[in-house]
Amino acid sequence: MNEAGVLLKLRSVSKSYGATAILHNVDLDVRDGEFITILGPSGSGKTTILRLIGGFTKPSGGEILLDGRDIAAMPINQRPFNTVFQDYALFPHLTVEGNVGYGLAVRGTPRAETAKRVADALELVQLGPLGKRYPAQLSGGQRQRVALARAIICRPRLILLDEPLAALDVELRRHMQTFLKSIQTEIRTTFLFVTHDQEEAIAMADRICVMNAGRIQQIGSPHEVYYRPSCEFVAKFFGENNLISGTLGPANGLTRAIETRAGRVLCSVEGQPDMAAAPVGSRAFAVCRPEAVAIGDEAAGENRFVVSIDQVAFAGASTMATASSVDDPTLSLKARIPSRPDGSTLSPGDAVTFVVPANACRLVPA
Amino acid sequence: MMRLADRLAPALLMLMTLVVFVLLYGPLMVPIVSSFFTVSRGAVDWSQPTLSAYVALMANESVLNALWTTLIVGAGAVICSVALGTGIALYYTSPHAKGRAFLQFIIFLPFLMPPIITGLALLIFFRQVEFERSLVTIIIGHTVFVLALVYRTILTRLQSLSESLVEASYDLGASRWQTFRLVLLPNLSSAMVGAAVLAFALSFDETMITLLVTGTQSTLPVRLWAMMRLGFTPDINALVALVLLFTTILCLVAVRFLMPKSAIEGSDED
Repeated sequence: MNEAGVLLKLRSVSKSYGATAILHNVDLDVRDGEFITILGPSGSGKTTILRLIGGFTKPSGGEILLDGRDIAAMPINQRPFNTVFQDYALFPHLTVEGNVGYGLAVRGTPRAETAKRVADALELVQLGPLGKRYPAQLSGGQRQRVALARAIICRPRLILLDEPLAALDVELRRHMQTFLKSIQTEIRTTFLFVTHDQEEAIAMADRICVMNAGRIQQIGSPHEVYYRPSCEFVAKFFGENNLISGTLGPANGLTRAIETRAGRVLCSVEGQPDMAAAPVGSRAFAVCRPEAVAIGDEAAGENRFVVSIDQVAFAGASTMATASSVDDPTLSLKARIPSRPDGSTLSPGDAVTFVVPANACRLVPA
Repeated sequence: MMRLADRLAPALLMLMTLVVFVLLYGPLMVPIVSSFFTVSRGAVDWSQPTLSAYVALMANESVLNALWTTLIVGAGAVICSVALGTGIALYYTSPHAKGRAFLQFIIFLPFLMPPIITGLALLIFFRQVEFERSLVTIIIGHTVFVLALVYRTILTRLQSLSESLVEASYDLGASRWQTFRLVLLPNLSSAMVGAAVLAFALSFDETMITLLVTGTQSTLPVRLWAMMRLGFTPDINALVALVLLFTTILCLVAVRFLMPKSAIEGSDED
């Protein structure tokens, strides 16, 4: 991790209201130029992190470092950050141009320069002709773009986005995801994006910080948090997953076995020193994505589960097969297999073998 | 049988409404109508309309002075109450405000108490501190009386504004003063105008407090009250007609500014 590339550091930041703790000792580095997403269910503290960075609330403890200086006491209007609010917070009495130019106007920027930069910002968000309209005359997606233009015009070092797509319908949200990402690439400004939507986070972020109950659960690329979860919460948070409970066996280099009631499961512990060093006999889960499961005796892979198919759900490109282990009937396993155009598929009651290679299995503590 | 009752009910209701209208609101029309005719020996001469009552009003200096005093007091009370009401409403909504419930209670007290008690309390106070009674004391009395209404009107609007508007302003680099001037004030202005109109209307006919705290000046209601013993001259008809007209205009203005925007312009939410 390049120290010079870090824009903002949170060091054991905590926040509580009275006796209620919202954040517990959060450590987070925001890297220069990245698109980082804070993802978590409601009440996880993700918006609190954004509000602490923006200066809207003060931390109860810890430091927020910008260029090595603690900015916890710096007033909102002096921070080089701008925010896109969840409700957009557009000024209803100002036109689109008035809204976008507000940050420049309050700094006493000359009119000609303001006009030019407003026009450029509106061009960037593809709202060129709507400058004279009032927010009430715009659609949800257009308001969203005005809010974005207003936030980028002051050339902040960091843009904070507080669930900005939550109020849009699915179609528009997809479109805005691509749009936001392309704007971010174009202006090369750091984006800190807060959302509760896993798909949104995976689609947009360079890095995802998964939060739960006021604590960071894992920070990593979308691929990492999806395929290499570090804890049970993250393993269960992104869509369908298989978690097989058991006790750890001895570590063996980059692999480690876990004894489950459905037999021994060999897992990769590459890049997971904690799991490699965990004491033998401690409880853990073997985790593998349904798409990593192959079906049939001839499939290659270290881990084999003899199962009986319970349910087969066609989902377009793929088909999800749910099965119970013959050795441990309480264990339900899912396999996502490619759908076949000829319609041939598994049927409930079929006895098959689920095969998972060790490098597709990870361990998380129970 | 049912059909007859069905048809009879609306007709009866209409008749009742009509009677109520004539009996309750009819008297209001009498001075307006009679202001355009001459009155001699208690009888209205309906034969020819005239503006003589209005001419006489223009010459009645004591009434005109009282009207002028009323306007000055109204303007003074409006300015003071809107400024104070806005300030207190802003304080009330600020996160650091202390004693909110107590503050509300004190502001509403003079509005809910009988005016004679408010007036007496003020009178005793002015006597104690040897503050000479004058136009200023009337303005103070009226401000105390109308402040609750003004404050409430502005507070309601302030609370309907999204908190994130203020946050957005700070976020974009604005100072406190810029945020007040560029974001809060424009969004409060219509509520302030509406509150001002209501405050003025209340101040215009306030009699009880005024009687107690006035010095030598008399406002219009006080002057009219004093005239009751001598009987009214025809020019008072003209005065009533003009005040009614003026009040109607004020009401229309107040409605225009106090109605939610959406009710007037139609909302465009999606």
